[in-house]
Amino acid sequence: MIRIAAVGDIHMGPDSQGVLRPAFETLPECADLLLLAGDLTRHGTPEEMRVVAREVRDLGVPVVAVLGNHDHHDDRPDEVSAILRDAGAHVLEGQGTVVESGGTRIGVAGTKGFGGGFVGRCAGEFGEPVMKEFVRHSRRSADALRTALERLDEEGCDARIALTHYSPVADTLAGEPLEIYPFLGSYLLAEAIDTAGADLAVHGHAHAGTEHGMTSGGVRVRNVAQPVIGRAFHVYHLPVREPATSGAGAQQAG
Amino acid sequence: MSTHGSQDTGGGPPAENLDYRIAHLQERLASGELGELGVRVETRGRSVLLTGTVPSTPCRDEILRTVEEEFAGVPVHSDLVVTEASSPDHAEELA
Repeated sequence: MIRIAAVGDIHMGPDSQGVLRPAFETLPECADLLLLAGDLTRHGTPEEMRVVAREVRDLGVPVVAVLGNHDHHDDRPDEVSAILRDAGAHVLEGQGTVVESGGTRIGVAGTKGFGGGFVGRCAGEFGEPVMKEFVRHSRRSADALRTALERLDEEGCDARIALTHYSPVADTLAGEPLEIYPFLGSYLLAEAIDTAGADLAVHGHAHAGTEHGMTSGGVRVRNVAQPVIGRAFHVYHLPVREPATSGAGAQQAG
Repeated sequence: MSTHGSQDTGGGPPAENLDYRIAHLQERLASGELGELGVRVETRGRSVLLTGTVPSTPCRDEILRTVEEEFAGVPVHSDLVVTEASSPDHAEELA
């Protein structure tokens, strides 16, 4: 069994230091890794990310993170990512990483993702340059996620997790105003996850959403935005599946 | 008699229109110190209702201060909740 702890949208600032640390220090007892689903800061400043870095440094479990839209606000995503990496975290943007725990290999593919909406109610790559770029940003993100998941499959992981900030499905947005769904996620992420296969998809961003959802390909989705889970993190127990013998990722996801 | 331009549509002059004032408040909350996008601001009759979860007590206090400043004279009801930072008491089994 793999024990996955996850939280997103912790929105730390100078007044947050030490708020999550006591709970995070219990992680070695209950989890094999911690996933951070973006929006770790309020404005994406180095000062704010240093607060996060101190909160997750030397936790005793691997930490894997993606950035969220708030973490981009100060236009220094590389700098704040480096601060988090210096604290020992894996920070993913269109990449994958494998962490080992008790002999099991857990693959995490991560990207911030982006909006655009869901099938039948989504933005198209058409018209004004800024509109096309909006959709292309989502598409690039989803393509990178798919490639990262496929590479993890080739590397023979015992479980693969898709980690995003934006939501791949509408299910976990329930509770948010329908009108803003296109700003909360994109079906392109779910399509990437279903195409490459994954055992679990974890995201944040939708503070008023709900925790549980599923892609149309059958991959479970969990919205771990801290306002949604109402805790410092949630833990998911994932059974270890038999080692993959083929590349039929979508079947593994079912 | 033409009433064009003098009809009371309920909104009043733009500067006093609650809808636009709420929109401007939300822009101010997002762009200010707090970078706050997670607070829902809605009208309830002639009052303003705040809902959502915020990261800390100082954040909640600052939001309330800002809202009361923007909506001087308008009753403001706050249902803002501060995020819970305790460890979970159980795990979910994904069988």
